[in-house]
Amino acid sequence: MLHRYNFPVALEPKLSHTAALILQAIHAGHVYGFSVMERTGLPSGTVYPAMRRLERDSLIRSQWESQAIADSALRPPRKYYKLTRSGKATLEASHKRYPLLAKLIPSPEAENA
Amino acid sequence: MTPLHLALLRSASLLVPGPDRAEWFAEWSAELWHVNRGTTAFCLGAFRDAFWLRRNNPIPIAPHTFSLRSPLSCLLFLAALAAVSIYFALRLPLTRALWARGNFVPAYLFMIALSVLIVSATTSLALGEYPGNRHFRRRTFLAIKIALVLPIVCCGSLDLASVISMSFQSHGLLIGLIVGFRWALVDQRRRCPVCLRLLTNPTRIGGPSHTFLDWYGTELICAQGHGLLYVPEIPTSCYSTQRWQSLDPSWTSLF
Repeated sequence: MLHRYNFPVALEPKLSHTAALILQAIHAGHVYGFSVMERTGLPSGTVYPAMRRLERDSLIRSQWESQAIADSALRPPRKYYKLTRSGKATLEASHKRYPLLAKLIPSPEAENA
Repeated sequence: MTPLHLALLRSASLLVPGPDRAEWFAEWSAELWHVNRGTTAFCLGAFRDAFWLRRNNPIPIAPHTFSLRSPLSCLLFLAALAAVSIYFALRLPLTRALWARGNFVPAYLFMIALSVLIVSATTSLALGEYPGNRHFRRRTFLAIKIALVLPIVCCGSLDLASVISMSFQSHGLLIGLIVGFRWALVDQRRRCPVCLRLLTNPTRIGGPSHTFLDWYGTELICAQGHGLLYVPEIPTSCYSTQRWQSLDPSWTSLF
C-alpha cells in the first residue's frame, strides 16, 4: 500500500525565477557578476549570493582570469562564471517553466538563429 | 573606487570565513573597479553576500569562547571579577550597614569554616598523586585561586543581595563559597602540574569489568606534552586517586 504514497521525485533542481534569470544571463555571455547585475537589473546583494548558490549546486563554475589579461587591460583580474553541463540541462528545463526567459535575455545561439 | 567603498568591503569581509576572505575581497574589489554609479549600494550588497557565505560555510566556525586554560588567564579573570565585585560592594549602602554592625568579619569567617566543612564532607579534598616534590607552584596557584574566590563570593553576594533581597546575603554567601571552593578543587585536579594549563582530550579507557585486574576511567593529556593524567572512575585499592604520568623529552616530537 505504501507505493500509493510515493510521489515522483524531480531529478533536476527547480530554480527560482531569479536564479534562472542569472543562469540565463551567464549563458548569454554575461560572465562577470557586475555584468549579470547590469543585464538583469538585480542588486549586488541578490546576484552574488545567488551565484554562490548556483556554484555550490554545480550549475556554474568560476575561474579567475589570467593576470596577464588583466595587466594588459590595466585593471585587477576578475572572476568569471561559466555554465556546467548540469547547469545547461537545468536551464533548458527552466525554459519550459519560464518561457519568457530566453526572450528577456537572448543567448548568442538564439540571436544567430 | 574610494577609500570609503574599500572600507565597506573590508568591513563586510570580516563576516566571510577566514579561508575564503582573501579571494572574496579580491573578487569584490575587482568588480568594484567596473562600477561607475551606485557604488555605495553595490558595496552594501557585499554584506548580504558575506552573510550568505558565513551561513553556508561547510566548515562550522568555532565560536570564540573565553578560555581559562592558561593559569595566567584564569588568575586575571578571577582578579578582574574580584575587582568588579569589590568596586560595586564598596558603593552599596548595604555594605556600610553590615560593616557598622561590627559582626561582619566573624560572621564571614564562620561562613567560610562552615563551607569548608560542607565541601570536605561532600567531596574529596585529595588532589591526586604527583611524582616529585615540585608542588610549590601548584599549591601557590590553588591558594591564589581560593584567595580570589573569597572576595568574589563575599562581595558578589552583597551585590546580589542589594538587588534581590537582604535575606539572600547569608544564603548566597554560603552557597557561593561551597561552589567556589568546589570549583577551585575541580579546576586544580584538571591542570598539568608542570605548566598549570588545563588538560585536554579526555578519553575514556576500559570498562567496569577491568576493575579487579586493571583500572578504568578517563585519561587526559597536557597539550604541551608534559604528561598524562589517569582519573579512575571509581577508587580502587591500586588506583585510589588520580595519578600523573610524566612524559620524558623523547615524546616532544608528538606535540
